Amino acid sequence: MNNFVFHTMILAFCCEMASTAVAADAAPEPAKDTAKEPVVCFESRKGASEITQRDIKPGLPNVKCSPTTGAALWYGDPFEGTVPMGKMPLLDKIPPGHALVKPRSDKLALLPLCSTACHNGVGPSFSPPTLPKDKKPTPIPTMEGLLPDAKDLQHGRGRIWCLDCHHTTKRNMLVDNFGDPVSIDQPQILCGKCHGDKMRDWRDGIHGKRIGEWASNGKKRWFTCTECHNPHNVQDGHRNRGFVQLQPEPPPQLPKGMKDAKFEKTHPIPH
Amino acid sequence: MAINKKASAGPVKDSASECVAQPASADPSKAVLKTSRRDFLRAGGMLSMSSLMGAGALMAQSDDTKATVEWAEHFQKNYRLMTQKEKNEARLRLEKRYSAEYGKQVSVDTADAQPGVLMGYALNIRKCIGCRRCVHACVEENNQSRGKQRAGEKIEWIQVLRMERGEFSADKMNHGYPDGLGIQVGGNAYTPAGQILEGQYHYEPEAVPEKDATYMPIACMQCEKPPCVKVCPVRTTYREADGPVVIDYNWCIGCRMCMGACPYWARRLNVTNPVLPKEEMNPVTHYLGNRPRMRGVVEKCHWCLQRTRQGRYPACVEVCPVGARKFGNLLDPESEVSLILARKNVFRLKAELNTFPKFFYFYD
Ligand code: HEC
Ligand code: HEC
Ligand code: HEC
Repeated sequence: MNNFVFHTMILAFCCEMASTAVAADAAPEPAKDTAKEPVVCFESRKGASEITQRDIKPGLPNVKCSPTTGAALWYGDPFEGTVPMGKMPLLDKIPPGHALVKPRSDKLALLPLCSTACHNGVGPSFSPPTLPKDKKPTPIPTMEGLLPDAKDLQHGRGRIWCLDCHHTTKRNMLVDNFGDPVSIDQPQILCGKCHGDKMRDWRDGIHGKRIGEWASNGKKRWFTCTECHNPHNVQDGHRNRGFVQLQPEPPPQLPKGMKDAKFEKTHPIPH
Repeated sequence: MAINKKASAGPVKDSASECVAQPASADPSKAVLKTSRRDFLRAGGMLSMSSLMGAGALMAQSDDTKATVEWAEHFQKNYRLMTQKEKNEARLRLEKRYSAEYGKQVSVDTADAQPGVLMGYALNIRKCIGCRRCVHACVEENNQSRGKQRAGEKIEWIQVLRMERGEFSADKMNHGYPDGLGIQVGGNAYTPAGQILEGQYHYEPEAVPEKDATYMPIACMQCEKPPCVKVCPVRTTYREADGPVVIDYNWCIGCRMCMGACPYWARRLNVTNPVLPKEEMNPVTHYLGNRPRMRGVVEKCHWCLQRTRQGRYPACVEVCPVGARKFGNLLDPESEVSLILARKNVFRLKAELNTFPKFFYFYD
């Protein structure tokens, strides 16, 4: 089978999933004004996770969204949509049920299909099934169609590739240093194998974010690494910063008598 | 117009509030003045107008509000001097009034400081992207005035300062003032790089962080030695035992001494009647925290007392998209703030003033 036929087949296989992925991406747009439409706001990274506004009790919403940017501005219920984090090395002191996360898998449209439609554990479901022999970068045009970031993978600046993070035979899972599969809902175990310092800070609540109860043994929702970082483009391309840009919320009221904020930029300093 | 203790010649009626000591203790329940407000008024010639300035400010409100504000409220004691019974009465009175005013069930918490807790805050200044979500979360949570019509009607407690990165240029190297030999002010003197406290608050780019800027949020530092507390003539702002500096709004006379004393520009005066739409009002309040304020009183950040006394993180911590804001118990070595103090490079803003903030900036 020549390359062309091969790729067209996979594309045909996957185009339905691709369209769902695109639809999911479009969803987080701030829905405002209209009374009927549910108000949805995004949390940290735009497109990574959302919350739909509802009332916990009359006059008290679960979340308030910014009418300007569509960002979550206030949490009434910090635990909405969360599940227990699962076993985490060195976090076993936390009382059961006190460490919660929002599962990533719900957000990932391609994920349920990876290991059924295409990768079945022995290789792409075509004859002959072959698995890559090493972890080195190879062009994968099919994946580039589904995941544009794969075209010029930014993370690691050319020094890491798909199977450093994704399990070879279980493609819907990540991989740890021993080659064991890791749930996609626990990306911290994956990221921690290369970013030990950040992992340590995250574990202690210094890097990343936790919401809920502030006591050190309190019930908290932990934000996972991929809620803030796009694993395929952590440095946001040429911007070279670890967090994507956001639209800011509106500025404060101008001081009395001021028509604009130009006054802030003029600071005449005498010699 | 400081309260003169000697003026309180009248007998102290309420035995529960009787206490010989000056308020030396940080625990407000132990720090009780000998004088009650009633006694003070009586001794001071009952209706001396100046001592009623606080009540005067209250009464200057619109008619319907005025009608609902009970007389008892004007004459209640400072929160610190109230007995538990009086606190409960004040609480019920306020809950009833606010619920009617805002058309929903409003609760007014009076939870005290927990023993063994000293609240602390740390902000990762390297991560802040200047998105102002904290500013607006604070407003949603704390029932600030949010009018747009008149100056001073929109109150925000957190200010985010934008600082220019600045540019040094080779062209200016041999120029300056006076030009020529013996330059006293180098040509690169006015480049704003890393400049603190002279920046912009009203920046409005399409996206943050901007390439050429860094950001620094500033709010109340909850000083261990708060200058605002020292200058308050009616002692209505004070440090609670678990750390935050609070205000009993009913006793504030709006003199703005505290605003002048605060080196961090943290305090705001309600110059107008606060604009707080019913549907936006947060019904979960604390007496010393986010309960609705009146015109003529000062307010400021109190680390979301209504949340933190119930174990919840402050609102700003929860919305920060980059996770730059950290809060916890300074007495607990496992808390995130304690670990930051132990491990990271931290600094206090204007430490040279010896205000000893419990708000730390750090970077990693
Ligand atoms: C640094 C580790 C890392 C590398 C390298 C990496 N990935 Fe991923 N990938 C992840 C993580 C983590 C997720 C889960 C993303 C999330 O939670 O948002 C993911 C998700 C995916 C998904 C599912 C996306 C979706 O929206 O459903 C696909 C497909 C994928 N990766 C393909 C690739 C391909 C192809 C490569 C190589 C070009 C690659 N990945 C390289 C870590 C990595
Ligand atoms: C296989 C090792 C490996 C894994 C696993 C890994 N990374 Fe990386 N990461 C790297 C390398 C290599 C760099 C690039 C360092 C450089 O050369 O600048 C990097 C850079 C980064 C950067 C910094 C970008 C910058 O320039 O500031 C971030 C953020 C990051 N990784 C986040 C993550 C997250 C989140 C995960 C988990 C989803 C993860 N990494 C998993 C190897 C890894
Ligand atoms: C709440 C959001 C958030 C979460 C959750 C988060 N990070 Fe980050 N991370 C950031 C921000 C913001 C930066 C700083 C980016 C910059 O400097 O431009 C950063 C930076 C990094 C860097 C680059 C090094 C540096 O200090 O700039 C690495 C590596 C990294 N994170 C890894 C991780 C890993 C691993 C996890 C999960 C264990 C994680 N992050 C979770 C927000 C987050």
